[in-house]
Amino acid sequence: MATQRPARPSTLKRNLWIAGATGLLAWAALTVNVDITDLASLPAGLWAILSRMIPPDLSYLESAVPAMMESIQMAWLGTIIGAALSLPLGFLGAKNVSSPVVSSVMRQILNAIRAFPELILAIAIFIPIAGLGPVAGTLAIGVHSAGTLGKLTAEAIEGIDDGPVEAARAVGGRGLQVQRWGVVPQVLPELIGFWLYRVEINIRASAVLGVVGAGGIGFLLQQTIVFGRWPQAGMAIIVVVVATIIVDTISGGIRRRIIVGSEAKTVAEVDLMAESPVGRSVS
Amino acid sequence: MTAAAAQASHRPTKPPRSRAIYAGLVAFVAITLVSVSEEWGIGLDLGSIVEDLGNGRVILEQLLAPNWAFLPRVVDPLLETFQIAVVAAFIGCGLALPISFFASRTTVPNHPTLTVSRGLLSVVRAIPDFLYALLFVAAVGIGPLPGILALIFFNVGVVAKLLSETVDSVDTGPIEAVDAGGSTRTQMVRWAVLPQVLPNYVAFSLYAFELNVRASTVLGFVGAGGIGFLLRVQYQFGFWSNVSVIIICLFFIVFAIELVSIRLRRRLV
Repeated sequence: MATQRPARPSTLKRNLWIAGATGLLAWAALTVNVDITDLASLPAGLWAILSRMIPPDLSYLESAVPAMMESIQMAWLGTIIGAALSLPLGFLGAKNVSSPVVSSVMRQILNAIRAFPELILAIAIFIPIAGLGPVAGTLAIGVHSAGTLGKLTAEAIEGIDDGPVEAARAVGGRGLQVQRWGVVPQVLPELIGFWLYRVEINIRASAVLGVVGAGGIGFLLQQTIVFGRWPQAGMAIIVVVVATIIVDTISGGIRRRIIVGSEAKTVAEVDLMAESPVGRSVS
Repeated sequence: MTAAAAQASHRPTKPPRSRAIYAGLVAFVAITLVSVSEEWGIGLDLGSIVEDLGNGRVILEQLLAPNWAFLPRVVDPLLETFQIAVVAAFIGCGLALPISFFASRTTVPNHPTLTVSRGLLSVVRAIPDFLYALLFVAAVGIGPLPGILALIFFNVGVVAKLLSETVDSVDTGPIEAVDAGGSTRTQMVRWAVLPQVLPNYVAFSLYAFELNVRASTVLGFVGAGGIGFLLRVQYQFGFWSNVSVIIICLFFIVFAIELVSIRLRRRLV
């Protein structure tokens, strides 16, 4: 006699989600102002560009390398500013450190900061203050990063083990002492990982700032491409790609060593919630 | 010997700090000093920034007085930004799914394919979204199409990276099971790997979609469609109370999408 098979779980809800998503895609694809026949010109257009970029203009290295260095320095300093601001914000945003009211208010503030892209911060606030140039771009990167890093910091702190905190209290630690000896050692490896990852993201973000005159290699990219100086554009793109991959590799290596070496808790769910450093082992 | 001293000697000695920490600190200080300096770096001087804070006042006052009559002109470009993000997210994330299986040790063991596909992926990720936009505008002309193309590449970079790392760390039990059942490589991916990573995949895609909405504001600055173009025009003419309306609208749409997306992602994982 055949045993009774369990009934299949209902797929209704899942199918409704799929239908909704398909509907959204259909609406967007059919109403967006794109003439699909334009796509036909893509291969020829790309080929025209690529064939003119090769061979790249090696003498342009002289301009592209310093500009890329500026981008990297902007990303580095912007991340330091962001990390410095994010520490107090993150501690106040963690439920287990501050009060429930303070933490939820702080979380909303962090969400709000993150909603402003670097470009908007640069044109509306920092270029008027600091004038055109990399300083304005650096500050824009710093403030935007403070939003993301603050959120990640708060989530990392909420994930700590209570034991060391209780121990620090039990031996008479108070206020900042408990944070310093009970909380910081637990989250530091993870935070350093977030900071390094943020440098990688900020290097990419700094490219766009050049368009509005806020420093970095973006300005050269735009000028060479818009004015069709293709051999120079090709050289600049090569510099961007190579420099970015080098920084990613160094930063990735250090992050791996810090996270594995210290046996920090899995960076799991935390990293999904905002720009995530290590996307693995989420389940 | 007193009792206290005896006890003290039983204390384990503090392990010496590893040299890597000192090397790291030295590198950190050196890079920072170089970056801050006027001569070698960007010349960041926090003191003069604080002095100049007042410079922003004039524009800030105009930003705080948004010109709501401008609102109707924001609606259509904003809708276009949203459409660009939706289309690019679906296509880009759709492409990223198969690509990530080519970039994971689990599904492509010890193979030159792995090195090649990972190398290509890191090049794709090293090109910033704004550079893709510039190139596609040059290739197909201005409008939402280059914006969509640029974001597709951006999404493939983000999602394939995250997903291939997830595939790296799946549970190998189901893989052995289907192997033992005599599966082909494709069947193995379909029945042993895909079910394990599907919730993560959807979560990563939602995350990429959030980033798209934010990124598409930037793309318009170089003619790749959406609200960015309007923003650029108003900004260049110095119509700050119009810029203010755009920023406020953007803020709400980004905020709303993020709230919905985060809620959905929490339920998935």
